[in-house]
Amino acid sequence: MGIIVIGMNHKTAPLHIRERLSLSCDDNSRMLDEVKDISQVREVMYLATCNRVEVVANIEDSVSGVERLKFFIFSHGNLSHDEMKECLYIYRDHEAVRHLFRVASSLDSMVMGEPQILGQVKDAYRHCVEHKASGIILNKLLHHAFRVAKRVRTETGIANNAVSVSFAAVELAKKIFGYLSGKTVLIIGAGEMSELAAKHLMNNGVSKIVFANRTYENAVRLANDFHGIPIGFNLLEEKLKEVDIVISSTGAPGYIITERMIVEALRRRKNRLIFLIDIAVPRDVDPAVEDIDNVFLYNIDNLQEIVDENVKNRMREADKAEAIIADEVTNFSNWLNTLEVVPAIVSLRNKADSIIDNELEKSLSWMKDMKEDEKEKIKILASSVINKLLHDPITRLKEESQNGGADSYVAAIMRLFKLETDD
Amino acid sequence: MEKLLFKVALAAYFFSAVGYITSILVKRVFIAKTSTWVLLTAFAIHSLSIIVRWVGTGYSPVTNIFESLSFIAWAISGSYVAFQLKTKTRVLGAFVSPLAFLLMMVASVKLVDNVSMPAILQGYWVPFHIILSLVGEALFALACLAGVMYLIQDNLIKKKKSYRFTRLLPPLRDLDKINHVSLLWGFPLMTLGVIAGSIWARTVWGSHWQWDPKQIWTMISWFLYAFLLHQRLAIGWKGRKAAVFSILAFSILLFTVIGVNIFFLSVHNFM
Repeated sequence: MGIIVIGMNHKTAPLHIRERLSLSCDDNSRMLDEVKDISQVREVMYLATCNRVEVVANIEDSVSGVERLKFFIFSHGNLSHDEMKECLYIYRDHEAVRHLFRVASSLDSMVMGEPQILGQVKDAYRHCVEHKASGIILNKLLHHAFRVAKRVRTETGIANNAVSVSFAAVELAKKIFGYLSGKTVLIIGAGEMSELAAKHLMNNGVSKIVFANRTYENAVRLANDFHGIPIGFNLLEEKLKEVDIVISSTGAPGYIITERMIVEALRRRKNRLIFLIDIAVPRDVDPAVEDIDNVFLYNIDNLQEIVDENVKNRMREADKAEAIIADEVTNFSNWLNTLEVVPAIVSLRNKADSIIDNELEKSLSWMKDMKEDEKEKIKILASSVINKLLHDPITRLKEESQNGGADSYVAAIMRLFKLETDD
Repeated sequence: MEKLLFKVALAAYFFSAVGYITSILVKRVFIAKTSTWVLLTAFAIHSLSIIVRWVGTGYSPVTNIFESLSFIAWAISGSYVAFQLKTKTRVLGAFVSPLAFLLMMVASVKLVDNVSMPAILQGYWVPFHIILSLVGEALFALACLAGVMYLIQDNLIKKKKSYRFTRLLPPLRDLDKINHVSLLWGFPLMTLGVIAGSIWARTVWGSHWQWDPKQIWTMISWFLYAFLLHQRLAIGWKGRKAAVFSILAFSILLFTVIGVNIFFLSVHNFM
C-alpha cells in the first residue's frame, strides 16, 4: 500500500508535451477505467489542467506498480524515453501527500495563489468518485487536501492582491469608485489586454462597455462579443463625458486623448471622477492629464509595478503556507500509520469475539437452569475480561503506529495470536 | 451614576480607538468589526449618561465647554456609526474613535456633579440652539475628516506609490459621499441652530443681531458652508476641491467655536 503521484507540470514539461499527454487522456472516463485495470492499482484519480497532468494513485506493490503506472503514462502520451525522464516527476508517500496539498493550495501553480486549481482538483475527485475509482485512502486524502487549501487561503495572504495587470486595474478602479456595478467602461482599440480587462470588469459588475475603434467593423465585432456598444472615433469625445473608466490600447503614433479633451469632458461631466488606463506603447493618453483634479491616469508600467509588489508579497506568504502544509502532512501521515495497524486490531477483536461465542455455546448445557439475567451477567463478565486483556496491547499498537514503527508489533501479534487478515 | 457611565463610555472609546488602529496595523477585518461594536457600545453608554444627566439636572446637557466637548464626541461617533452601517468603510473609525476619545478626555477634566446655570442660559430656546449647532458642527467635523482621508487617498493613487496604503484606505467615492452627506445634513442643522440662537438673543439682549465677534465669525463660517454646498449641488464640485474646501471651512468653524472666545471679548462668553 502506498500513495503515489506521477505527472508533469508547467515547470517540468513544455506545453507541447503536456498537450500530447493531456489530449491522449482526453476521454477522462476511459483513462480512469484503464488505470483501474492495472492489477496493483487500488485507487486512482486523474487530474489534467492546462498546466499539469497528474495521476494520483494508491498502489499495492511499490516497485512493479510504479513501473506499470509509468509505462501506462509513457505509452499514452507517446513520450520518448528521454522526454519521460526529463518531464515526469514521481512522488511517493509523504512527498506525494505534500505535493497534492501544495497543488490544491495553489502553491504549485504557475500564478501562485490563483483560485481555479482547487475547483479543478475537486472536479477531478468528483469524477474519480463517480467512476468508483476512489477508496478509503484517496477519499481521506482528497478531503484533507480540500481542508488544507481552505486553511492556506484563510490563514495566509497567498491569494490576496492582483498579480496580473488587468486584475490590478480592476482593483484600482474599486479603490476609486468603491464598486463597479452601474459603471461604464470605454475601450479604445483592440488587443488581448483590453479584452481581458473588459472581461474582468464585467465579472466585477460593470454593466456597460463601449468599444471605440478607428475601423468601425472591429468595434462592432468586439461589441458583439461583450454585448457592448460600438462607436467610431468621431464620437470619442462625446463619450468621454459619460464613461467612468477608459482603457486605451491603440497602435496610434500620437495621443488619442489630449489634455483639452479631458478638461472639456470633466466640465461637462460635472467633475465626476474618471479613471484612464493607458496600456498602449507609444502612449495614447497625454501624460499631462494626470495633473488634473479628479482624473487618474495609469500606464502599463504603473500597473506592472503594482503587480511586482503583489508578487513579492505572495512569495512572503508562501512561506507561511509551506509551514501549514508541513503540519498537515504530519497529521495525515499519522492517520495513514494508524491504518496499518487497523486490520490487525480488527482481526484480534474478531478472534476474541468468536472465542466468547464458542465458549458460551459450550456452557449452555450447565447454564440451562439459570435465570435469564444471570446468564446475561456471565456473558458480560466474559467479555469484560477479554476487553481488559486486549486494551493495553491495542493502545500500545496504535501508539507505535504514530511513531511509524508498528510493523514488527503487527507481525508479532499476528503470529502470537495466530491471526489472519484479508490484507 | 452618570459619572460612572461617563467613565465607562470613555474607556469604551479608548478600546475602540486602540482596536481600530490595531486592525490597520495587523490588517485583520475581524478586529475592525469588533471595534465597531465597541464604538457602538460606547455610543450607547454615552447616550445613557447624557440622558441621566439631563434628567438629573433638569437642564440641557450642554451648558459649558466640557459638556459641549462630550456632546460633540457623542454626535461625531453617532453620525460615524450611522455612516458605517451604510457605506461599510471601517477605516474612518481609526480617525473618529481616537478623536472621540480625546474630546472625552478633555471633557472629563471638569466632570462636576451639579452646575449652577447662569440665568441667561435658562431660556426655552437654549437647548435647541446648542444641540442643533453642536450636531451640525459634529457633522462638519466628520466632513472634514473624510476630506482629509480623501486627500491622502487621492494623493496615494496619483503618486502611484505605496499601493499598500491605498489598499488600507476606503475608496475615494465613499469618502466623497461621506463628505457630501455630512454637509447636506450639517448645513440645515447649523442654520436652524443659528436661527434658534438669534430668537433667544432677542429675548435676552433685545435684538437678533449684536455685531458680536462670535456672531460675525459664525456668519462667516455659515457663508463658507453655504458656498461649498452651492458649489457641490449647483456647480458640481466633487472630490479634491470639495475636500480641500470642507477642511478650510471647518478650520474657520473651529476658530469660531473655540478661538473667538480666546481672542475676542464676546457676549457669547459661555462658549
